Amino acid sequence: MLGFSNISLSNFLFWATQKKWFLYALGLGVLLLSLPTPHDLQIKAKISIIILIVSLILIIKEPIPLPAVAIFILIAQIYGGVDTVDGISKSFMSDAVFFIMGSLMLAVVIIKQGWDSRIALGILKFTGNKTAGIALGFLSISAVLSSFIGEHTVAAIMLPIGMTLIRFTSANPSKVKNLSAVILFSIAYGCLIGSVGTPSGGGRNVIMINYLNQAGISISYFEWMLRVYPFIFIQIPIVSWIIMKTFKPEHRILDSSVRKLVIKVARSRAITGRNTLTVLIFILILSGWVFFSEKFGLGTIALTGVFLYLLGGFVKWSDLNKHTHWGVIILFGATISLGTSISKTGGAMWLADQLVYFLGTFMETIPFFREFVIIVVTTSMSNVLSSSATVAVLGPINLNLVPEILNIGLLTAMSSAFSYFTAVAAPACTIVYSSGMIRAKDFIKIGFRVGVISILLLIAYVNIYWPLFT
Amino acid sequence: MKILIAIGSKDFSTPTLRLGMKVAQAFHAKTTIIDVGEKISEFSSHLVELAHDQMESWDFDPPGVDVLEWAFNYLSDNKLIDAKQIEIGFPRSRLIDDGEDRKLVYLPGTVCENVNLILRNGDIVAELRDEVQVGKYDVTILGKSRKRNMSHDLLQYINSSIFVVNNYDDQKFDKILLPLNEASGMMKVAKYAIRVALALKIEIEILTVLENKSSNQIKSYNYNKVVKLIRRSGVQYAIEEKEGVVAEQIIKKADKNKIIVMKASSMSPIKRYFKGSIPLSVMNACDVPILIVK
Repeated sequence: MLGFSNISLSNFLFWATQKKWFLYALGLGVLLLSLPTPHDLQIKAKISIIILIVSLILIIKEPIPLPAVAIFILIAQIYGGVDTVDGISKSFMSDAVFFIMGSLMLAVVIIKQGWDSRIALGILKFTGNKTAGIALGFLSISAVLSSFIGEHTVAAIMLPIGMTLIRFTSANPSKVKNLSAVILFSIAYGCLIGSVGTPSGGGRNVIMINYLNQAGISISYFEWMLRVYPFIFIQIPIVSWIIMKTFKPEHRILDSSVRKLVIKVARSRAITGRNTLTVLIFILILSGWVFFSEKFGLGTIALTGVFLYLLGGFVKWSDLNKHTHWGVIILFGATISLGTSISKTGGAMWLADQLVYFLGTFMETIPFFREFVIIVVTTSMSNVLSSSATVAVLGPINLNLVPEILNIGLLTAMSSAFSYFTAVAAPACTIVYSSGMIRAKDFIKIGFRVGVISILLLIAYVNIYWPLFT
Repeated sequence: MKILIAIGSKDFSTPTLRLGMKVAQAFHAKTTIIDVGEKISEFSSHLVELAHDQMESWDFDPPGVDVLEWAFNYLSDNKLIDAKQIEIGFPRSRLIDDGEDRKLVYLPGTVCENVNLILRNGDIVAELRDEVQVGKYDVTILGKSRKRNMSHDLLQYINSSIFVVNNYDDQKFDKILLPLNEASGMMKVAKYAIRVALALKIEIEILTVLENKSSNQIKSYNYNKVVKLIRRSGVQYAIEEKEGVVAEQIIKKADKNKIIVMKASSMSPIKRYFKGSIPLSVMNACDVPILIVK
């Protein structure tokens, strides 16, 4: 056909099939661009909203590599005249991007230090040998740790501990399916629950702080904890109970497997001076986050920690380079830049106005409806996108919805952690799912229950606890 | 001759591996057994890799290795690999990452030239297509998927012959259905059918479908040559002529005891993409193993 060989035609068709979502997204973008611009919307704002819609499709369906999506977002903003090259470059690199970069690198250092065996001993010391207690222990430890060092790091550390306990209970995974689900969901959901506790718990929190700063609102590390951390303690026992009720474990007591795990851990290599030093450096970073983050930014402090680890030879650059996903970092930079553009051009305000126009009556008449809408929209998006990307794109819109900017910002960050429904939504869930010991449909089964309860709890929490701060 | 056998899980891949290895044996082919694991979201891929490194430090294999080990055990139990290798056991330490997003191990074969075990992650059609292109495989053998467009995608995009193992049972299949026409390339199809028939010790049923019986176009030089080849191979055969729509007649004749071996469509890829093809219709309609020769 037209001189093309069958092989090149077949190659073209394969490319088109693989990239179909890219072509659909592009088609939709062109269609939206050709529609008349609403009278109350600037052309720049319209273009930034169209770029947002196209990018969301590209991020969710992944027809092209994520770094390519990032590049698309950046160049489309420049070619579309949304902002100048300098403007886009400036908004591309922020403290939030520094933090995401630093936190991904810190994860590599921390995971390689062999803290896992000590953590395992710690859990078993205070949980005893009952399955319910062990599950609660896994969930609590995962939540508390992830609130400081990030969900992905904790999930990677905790996963083999949980898997070893399961293997010691039965060598045949099919005989301990429910026990596997209980232990592994306790880890994954523990990580998600904890990740909102402090600003350093996840990139999304820092992205939100970035947007709040742009809106002229500053929140310290400690103040964030004061407002958010109690919610973690409320969620822990309730979610643990739901997990135990949903997957009734085959064994109520795990005494022999606990004993075997303790013996295995005891035989593992002893803590060295260098290991202790890595802990001390991390405590230093943590103190920096708590006391100096408002002045220097969380990202700068995280990168300082990485610098110290590299300086001390605790990690090789080649290891950091291999395990740090630079594409994701570039993507977050690009989405934050797009979020900033939507906000600056008035697109965020326009989108918020549309939401208020359609739902305003309900928001005013039905109690808690406003919180409900924000939580449901954020939760839904974070389950198909990623929590950080959700906050990056939804943050500026949500902040324009109501005058209580700080509360809405925190609410958005908190509900973006409700990625309970799918295995792909949050790194902690993907890591646990990648063990092959739980099924994708288990996420739906448990995710729905935990998700609904968490939404209701959060609505109650913000209406009962947060008014105390005003 | 190079054969690629795609397996998916320990629970459902036994028939694919059994039939695949029989075919490999018949062709004395270089064989690769591949497991394509689920695609991991790019957001988490590096973190998952890090978690798997951590799992290995606690003596856990990354997902998929257990499937390769199961395949290795099948090969050892049936003495399809070198005795020395069977004695050593599954060479977990020799499972190397080749830097192309795949892990692989080489095993010296006995009944076939060599056996490689490969682990990849991603979209099954894209990964198989890539593997076929890189490894220049002649036949790809895999189980039938429940996914709606899978048959279409396999036929459309994988540049090798495709053998879809569907409901295979050693005892059940005693015939090969070989739809024959005068198109070029029928000799190759016949050769494949003969090899499979010899490997499984079954007979061939040649089916010729004429749109109009009076035309007698099928008794061409090519056709007679193919029949002669089958006769000389020593495989028992029978010939049947039918009149009607080709795909419909093949589907009618494909009983539950027949493996179908047929030629791939010679239409252009664009036409095939939009209009479909006879092999695709047959593959979608029949619940028996089907080898489409390209």
